Amino acid sequence: MTRRRILQNAGKWGLALVLLYPLFAFVGKKRYRPPIEVRIRERLAPGTHLIEPEFALFETGTGPMAVSRRCTHLGCILNYQEADDTFLCPCHQSRFSWDGKYLSGPARKNLPRYPVLVPEGAEGYVVEIPRGVI
Amino acid sequence: MTLLNRPGEQASAALLVSIASGLVVAYQYEAADPFVSSVAIEAVLPFGAFWRALHFWSSQAFFILLAIHAWKSLEDVGRKGDRQPGGGLQWVLLSCTLPMALFALFTGYVLRWDGTGQAAGTIAEHLLLEIPLAGRFLNRLLMAVSEEGLTRVYVVHLLLTAVLWGMGTWYHTRRVILKWPVFRDVFLGTLATAVFLRAPIDLPDEFVSLIKGPWFFLGIQELLRHLPALLAGVAYPLTPFVLYAAMPFFKKPGLARGMLAFWFSTYCGATLAGWMR
Repeated sequence: MTRRRILQNAGKWGLALVLLYPLFAFVGKKRYRPPIEVRIRERLAPGTHLIEPEFALFETGTGPMAVSRRCTHLGCILNYQEADDTFLCPCHQSRFSWDGKYLSGPARKNLPRYPVLVPEGAEGYVVEIPRGVI
Repeated sequence: MTLLNRPGEQASAALLVSIASGLVVAYQYEAADPFVSSVAIEAVLPFGAFWRALHFWSSQAFFILLAIHAWKSLEDVGRKGDRQPGGGLQWVLLSCTLPMALFALFTGYVLRWDGTGQAAGTIAEHLLLEIPLAGRFLNRLLMAVSEEGLTRVYVVHLLLTAVLWGMGTWYHTRRVILKWPVFRDVFLGTLATAVFLRAPIDLPDEFVSLIKGPWFFLGIQELLRHLPALLAGVAYPLTPFVLYAAMPFFKKPGLARGMLAFWFSTYCGATLAGWMR
């Protein structure tokens, strides 16, 4: 291969990279969103729970606890089974205890918990879904 | 014309019907409000269920006909010319239409955003993120449903259709011209199917204990229960596409064909196990 040919090829690849970089930079850039605050406007009695689209909120003897409903295997929304107080994944059948501990199936990891605030002077809770959690 | 004697041409005809009906559906579909607009198209808008069904069934027909066409084209491998660098490269490029068609079909399931669509989209996103190094970028390019909703899935769905049409016509224009009887038969076949069979859509149910994915995804869904996600959801499904694309480079194409047939039989077994759950 001649020097001219090598330079021509290098020029073509260089031009392709120059043109592709703006595409990769534009498409790949993540637009961050702030954390999501979910306001629950009712107070739960001890021992009861509330199922929200992204999490389940439990009022325990020691305070409120929000457990994610996203399966730690591949992200499907878990169903809460009242009969045995467990979460069941409808996609690949992983199971978790009510407080998010892994029991069986391909998931292998516990469910994340979300911070729960009890606002002073107001009924209910504020559950914070952190940025980046899906 | 006997059934399936010209699958390549029939696939082009089905793709034409799919594109035309998809453009009609797109007038009322909203990526920002996917499930509500899908239900509105299905249940409220005049002829909405028909247009949706025509798009659904013609797209299914396109993928199945393309797969049959691809299988029949294996007979061409080994003929003089296909082993030459140009012929091999052309084969590789045309082989890319198979995973593209499958992904276009898959994004169609995701776009309706019902229970099956949501689960399929979320699983696909997590599988892409499992891919070492390139996973994050591929997810941003193709899915990113948790960050962007269905915007990117919709873009990819439209883009893939255009690319499939472009690649198909680029290669075939000088070789085969879509004949009217072929188009008429495929059009009437998908039209009749759309009149009698509705495209599926399910309501999000809080207490569904088992979601079954699209028919072509059932085998992967089953394997994901037993094997690591990268193996069951990425490496295994990519294997037949890589084998197929590499076919002209095998010294013994019969060996590659045998490996493809073996993969296909294992996938049929996994699909059957998933279907029987």
